[in-house]
Formats: sequence, C-alpha cells, structure tokens
Amino acid sequence: MSSSEVTEAAGATAEVDTSAAGSVRIEHVTHRYGRGGEEFTAVGPVDLSVPAGEFLVLVGASGCGKSTLLRLIAGFERPTRGAVRVSGAEPRPGEAAGVVFQTPRLFPWRTVRGNIDLALRYAGVSRAQWPGRRAQLLARVGLEGTERRRVWEISGGQQQRVAIARALAAENPLLLLDEPFAALDALTRERLQEDVRRVTRRTGRTAVFVTHSADEAVFLGSRIVVLTKSPGTVALDLPIPLPRDDVDAEELRGSREFAELRAQVSHAVKAAAAA
Amino acid sequence: MSTTPSLAKPAAPADAPPPGRRPPRHRVRTRVRHVALPLGSLLLFLVLWQALAASHTWSETLVPPPAKVWDAFVDVSTTHDGVRGYNGTTLIEHLGISLRRIAFGAGLGIAAGVVFGLLMGTVGWLRSLFEPWITFLRTLPPLAYFSLLIIWLGIDEEPKVTLLAVAAFPPVAVSTTTAVAAVPKSLVEAARALGASRWDTVRDVVVPSALPETLTGIRLAVGVAYSSLVAAELVNGLPGIGGMVKDAANYNNTPVVLVGIIAIGVSGLVIDGLLLRLERVAVPWRGRT
Ligand SMILES: Nc1ncnc2c1ncn2[C@@H]1O[C@H](COP(=O)(O)OP(=O)(O)OP(=O)(O)O)[C@@H](O)[C@H]1O
Ligand SMILES: [Mg+2]
Repeated sequence: MSSSEVTEAAGATAEVDTSAAGSVRIEHVTHRYGRGGEEFTAVGPVDLSVPAGEFLVLVGASGCGKSTLLRLIAGFERPTRGAVRVSGAEPRPGEAAGVVFQTPRLFPWRTVRGNIDLALRYAGVSRAQWPGRRAQLLARVGLEGTERRRVWEISGGQQQRVAIARALAAENPLLLLDEPFAALDALTRERLQEDVRRVTRRTGRTAVFVTHSADEAVFLGSRIVVLTKSPGTVALDLPIPLPRDDVDAEELRGSREFAELRAQVSHAVKAAAAA
Repeated sequence: MSTTPSLAKPAAPADAPPPGRRPPRHRVRTRVRHVALPLGSLLLFLVLWQALAASHTWSETLVPPPAKVWDAFVDVSTTHDGVRGYNGTTLIEHLGISLRRIAFGAGLGIAAGVVFGLLMGTVGWLRSLFEPWITFLRTLPPLAYFSLLIIWLGIDEEPKVTLLAVAAFPPVAVSTTTAVAAVPKSLVEAARALGASRWDTVRDVVVPSALPETLTGIRLAVGVAYSSLVAAELVNGLPGIGGMVKDAANYNNTPVVLVGIIAIGVSGLVIDGLLLRLERVAVPWRGRT
C-alpha cells in the first residue's frame, strides 16, 4: 500500500490545488498529428482540471481522441497548443504516471515475476524489498502463485492484471488506464473493475480511465467526462455522487441511481457522437 | 530422446492411452522415420559409392573406394609406422586447431556485428552510412579479399582469423540491425512508462527483443565462417583441417581430402545442431512479441 495515503479529494473544496501530487491540469489543449497538408486535429480545445484523488472516466466515440489525451497526460506527446500539467509540472514518461495500455504490453522474455521486478527496479525500489513488494502487488490483483509463469502462458485477463500490477509498482500518485478491460469477458471484466476500484480507493490515487462502456464508467468514476466526436472536446462533465467506500458491487450495480446515471451517460455519448 | 520430434498432436483414437504418453506404435514409427531413414540413405550412398568405385569407370585417384577412405581416416587419426596423423598432427588436432580459428575469428566478427547492429538499428544515419559497405562486403567471396589480407597481415594466424571475422561479420550486423530497428515501439513505450532510462530500454527491451534474430544471424555467420575455412587455410594452413585438405590435394591424395571434407561437414552439422538447440533454450519467447 502507498505510504503516502492521499485523502480522497473532497468535491466540495472550492479551490483545486493544481500542484498536488497526482493532480492533472489540461489548459486549452489542442493536439494535431502530422504536419503540412496532412495535418489532423485529434483533440481540442480541451480544458480539464482533475484534483488529486479523483477517478475520472473519459467516454466518447471511437477516434475522438481519448487515447491521445492519455498520451498527452503521460508525456508521450506534447500538445500542439496549450499546456498539460501533472502534479504541477510538465509530464514526462515514467515520472508523471503509471500507465496501463489498451493491450498488456508485457515483456515476453520475462516471467510474470520478471515483469514486476523490472517495474520495481525502474521505480528505484531496493532489491532487498522486491520479494515483499512483488508479493503485495500480485496479491492486490489476485495473481498469487503465478510468479514463475511465462507471460504468454497465462490468460489475457491475467496478463492485463500483471500489467496493472506493473503500473502500480512505482506508486505514482496518478494512474492512466486506456480501455484496459476492453478485450475481456464480462465476468473477468467485472472482477477487475472491482479490483481497480478497490486499489485506487485504498491508495487514494488519482485515476484517468478510458472506456466505451457507460456501465463501466458509472461503476468506476467519481466523475465522468464525455467527449464529442473527433476532434474531441468536453461535451459533458458529470460528477457521480455514488458511494465510493466499500460497497457491495452487486448492490451498487443493481441500484436505481446507478441505472439512471448509466442511462444519462449512455444518452450523452450517443448525442455527442451524433452532433 | 533428441531424435523424438515434436510432432503435431495426433488426433487421439478412441482407445488412446492417457495424455502425456504417446501411443507406443506411433512412437516407434516416428523413431524409425527419424533414425532409420537417414541411416538407410547413408547406407545406400555407401553402396552406390562402392559400386561406382568397383566399376572402375574412373581411376582410383578420382573415386577411391570407401574402404580406402576409411583407411585414410584411421591413418590420419592415429600414429602408424612412426608417423603421427597427417603431417605430424592427428585429424582431431587438425580439427581442433581449425575450430579454435573459427571460434576466434567468428567470435570477433559476431561481436563486431552485434555492436554495429545495435548502433545501426538505433541511429538512422549510422545505418545509412554503413549499410552499403556491409552489403558490399557480404557479396564478396572470402577468397576475393584473402590475397589482400595476406599482403597486409602476412601468412600466420592473423589473415586467417581476420578472414573468418570478416566473413562472419555481415550476417550478424544485418540481422541485428533489422531486428533492432523493428523493436516493438509499444514495448519501448511500456518500459519508458515504468520509468526506464534510455540505457535501461536498450538493455531490457531492445537487446532481448532483437536476440532471436541475432541468434539466427550468428548461426548464419558460423555457417559462412565454416564454409570459408578451406579458403582461410589455403596459405600456410597446416596444421588445420582446411590446410590438410589443401595439402592432400596437392599430392592427389583423394582419400585424405575426402576425410577432411567429411570431418568439416560432420563437425559443421554438430555445431549447427548445438546452435539451434541454444537458440531454442535461450529465446523461448521467439515469435511471441
Ligand atoms: N500517431 C498518429 N498519427 C496520426 N493520427 C493519429 C495518430 N494517433 C491517432 N491518430 C488519429 O487521431 C484520432 C484520435 O485517435 P485516438 O487514438 O486518440 O482515439 P480514441 O478516442 O482513443 O479511439 P478509440 O476509442 O478507437 O481507441 C483518430 O482519428 C486517429 O486516427
Ligand atoms: Mg484509444
């Protein structure tokens, strides 16, 4: 568990501390790919401020620039216009945030354990602490006992969980997840959603999570942002007033508020895509 | 055990034995196929050879009978009438000396190839700079530059080892360059997202992801070095298996020439087999990136 438990950002706080660890600020950001006549505007202009501890879910039609937005926050791209700030500074890969990509992107020449250990080494964890931290990370994603497996021998869901464990190793105060569960079956997906919800809540991290599913968005998010179709801009910015503490997942999913919010998001996504 | 191939899983018949153990009849049949077939063809070859030699179509100098070659093999392998092997060195020693040259030469060439490959694969302009030269070098038959090496380096070990190094270098450089340039960008990004430095990325992503291709290049390189062996030992090659072949050829000693050729071929087969096994053990992730 993170030594620096960040308290959940109180939605009521008037002033958002934009230099707090894990906070994200996107200021008038536009991003274009290519140059000259081949230019293509992928996102923007977008203004977003994500206080530390928030679980922000990005939803929008395919190609509206969700991944691009995450890549900007991770520091893999620099905005064509505007500025991105993570924890008050310009983001750089490996410093700004832990990233879970759409595909697991595990290193096939390493075992499950080797993948985690590499992340621990890059995070600057001393070697003596690896076994303990590794066990902790694997337990957190429910993968005890798979340490010695080759990463191509385990199932797709297990691979994605290794990727999540790996992204958690550095204990970045910010976690970026790009449709991490898109390719999974419903059962595994729900389990992992609960995992992610629990992990971020317990460690108080900020999360930006991309999905196509309104259901997933409402279940995970403390706030949902719906993007318009390409180039993506903010179409709807919706706080989710559902309880964030330990709640029964089944009960939450079955509640009337949940159904209403899901319908609202679903409707907004369709409207934004049609506009 | 090594001859048991990994056959595509046979459709299990209804009364199949528990999985893990192959039906005995099937196992016997594959064993037969993989041992008896090569042995049978070898035997047939020997018979045809014997028949050809016995027919005296060509003189014995041109086509010596198998028994003569066998005698030559025994001669060069042992001390007989006070003469040790061929020219004072036994066959196995000739082979050992040549293998050492190959190890040194190909080793140097392979090391240089890996370094150049890494550099050329990562730095675009280095690739543009060196690639034409390497392609040029690759198309040259080793004999073409051997004379030059003799002029420059004399007739001792240096030109031989250099020739083998120059022959082994291009395949490794080319395969490593291609593999490094084709490193999955997604994995490099994943490493960087975890906080890897530039050097970390090279060591932990670029090198392992290029390794399968590089190993294939190394296998090719050893093959090229092997086939350049006789050329490398053309001048002052004794002791050395290639030198032995060359020397025996000067005296029309066809049996010893054949013994040398067979020794080179068989040792080449063994080494290739070992490299192939190394490849399988060292890069089990081949094809899984
Ligand atoms: N490297 C690139 N070069 C050029 N255009 C790109 C590049 N990456 C993305 N684009 C374009 O930018 C737009 C936004 O892409 P992005 O991947 O951010 O979409 P997305 O919202 O994540 O879509 P999806 O839901 O399908 O993953 C798309 O139209 C895409 O074609
Ligand atoms: Mg995407």
